[in-house]
Amino acid sequence: MDQPPEPTAHSSEERPALRITRLVKDYGRVHAVRGIDLEVRHGEVFGFLGPNGAGKTTTIRCILDLLRPTSGVIEVLGLDPRRDGVNVRQLVAYVPGELRLPERQTGRQLVGAIARLRGGLDLTRTKDLADRLGLDLSRRLRDLSSGNRRKVALLLAFASDAEVMVLDEPTNGLDPLMQHEFLQLVREARNAGTTVFLSSHVLSEVQRAADRVAVLREGKIVASGTVDELRGRARQRVDVWFVDAAPAEELAALPGLENQVVEGRRFAAVLSGPIQPLLEVLARHPVATMLVEEPDLEEAFLDLYEAAS
Amino acid sequence: MRATGRWLELLVGPFRASWRAGLGWTIAFVLLVVSTVAFWPAFKGSTALDQAFQTLPQGVLDAFGLQDFASPAGYLRGGLYEVIVPLMFAAAGVLFGNNAVSAEEDAGRLELLLAQPITRRSFLTGRSLAVLGWLLALAIVVLLSQLVSDSAFGLLIADDRIIDTVVLCALLGGLYAAIAIALAGIFARPGLILAVGLGLALVGYLVAALFPLSDALEPWSHVSPWDWALGGDPLVNATEPWRYAALVVPTIALVLVGIAAFDRRDIRSA
Repeated sequence: MDQPPEPTAHSSEERPALRITRLVKDYGRVHAVRGIDLEVRHGEVFGFLGPNGAGKTTTIRCILDLLRPTSGVIEVLGLDPRRDGVNVRQLVAYVPGELRLPERQTGRQLVGAIARLRGGLDLTRTKDLADRLGLDLSRRLRDLSSGNRRKVALLLAFASDAEVMVLDEPTNGLDPLMQHEFLQLVREARNAGTTVFLSSHVLSEVQRAADRVAVLREGKIVASGTVDELRGRARQRVDVWFVDAAPAEELAALPGLENQVVEGRRFAAVLSGPIQPLLEVLARHPVATMLVEEPDLEEAFLDLYEAAS
Repeated sequence: MRATGRWLELLVGPFRASWRAGLGWTIAFVLLVVSTVAFWPAFKGSTALDQAFQTLPQGVLDAFGLQDFASPAGYLRGGLYEVIVPLMFAAAGVLFGNNAVSAEEDAGRLELLLAQPITRRSFLTGRSLAVLGWLLALAIVVLLSQLVSDSAFGLLIADDRIIDTVVLCALLGGLYAAIAIALAGIFARPGLILAVGLGLALVGYLVAALFPLSDALEPWSHVSPWDWALGGDPLVNATEPWRYAALVVPTIALVLVGIAAFDRRDIRSA
């Protein structure tokens, strides 16, 4: 399952927004990242999934040049974060997963400081974002809840003119309403041509926001593809009520049907693989009702994890 | 314009962030200097105290700067500039240096800053200059407190001797700040850096003050920065230029070592 995402076709002018090649990061004997390859296309939302400790934050901190890779190559819009760090960070907005802000400053003071370091932030956009996020920038950061501090970091990222956003667990501490607002902001950013690299262990938000996904486990990418592709690899629960007795023998002979249960007219199983053979059997027998549960990313995720381990 | 704003933020931001600590040190220095000089009229020309001190071994008198205590220079040396003021400058230097870099990194507060379009070199240069700026501000505070209270309480001593002495104490503080910055460039261990910085300040004093008591150790007293700063008795004698260089050159070298090391390592996250 240790496979990189399929490379995208692009000319030299159409470099990917982010390209990581054989990235390795060791901390002494601890191998945090063990050879990651991925490409993120311009203007897409790329979900970077995995549980805590999988290596997501380490990878992200290498992208920002906060960590120095043990080996491997990172390119952000064709630039090397090590050699062109200032230019890369001008093009990238970052929301850290572990957020620590200067406590004695107000939100407005921090916005001013970051604006000076970045060479400007869109003040109209800043005000608009503060309104949308329900954020009072006049309050000291130490007096804000963790959710409101997270909003300050999101505001700083979305008010920048960055071409790439790197968001590490961006909805930590946000209430459901604000999570919805965040997803809306991500969609707007994508529509405006911004590339979003969204790291999360919250599968539902990635499922709702991302175009493509890579799943990380113990420092390696164990699966990647579009959200639909990932779902397609997952198992589906199938429940069928026939008009007459279930054709148990025919169904038993089908490939990819596990945990089969036949109870009179009812047939239930877990399907992995293509559904076509099952549909062909069903077409030959009158069916009263049928239920096929669409797998969500969470199931896909867990399946992939089981397969990987 | 962008570059100016960036540098302003890199330099003024950390300077402003330390204003509480700066205010605390300012109050401490002013109180110390004014209250010490306020007692000068009581000691002025007193021979009794000098006679009492004469019962102590010469080495002990030298170690604590108590020789010639009834003279203006002797009084200021023993009361302020032999131990307490340089020690306070050294402690301020270590604390400012440690808080500006290592403590911030250890708390995870550099993560967002260093993800902005700045180099680590410019970041640490800005922080170092902010620390040295605070030591300069404290030097001005001590100098003004000293000159004003000298005048108010009739302590007659040449202004250039006071200026020399205060500047040398501040430069000593700058050297210990640079040690903290150099260590912070190498690793983010604020507790360790604090212990090493303050420990080296104390050892520096002990080497300069106590080694002269032993004939065997006396030559080694000159390895201490305290000896470079105050070994020429600047309250009495004009300071040789090499003493300034001996403090400034290693300070610059240590900051450059810190910057080079910081540029090469991983940044610690929270």
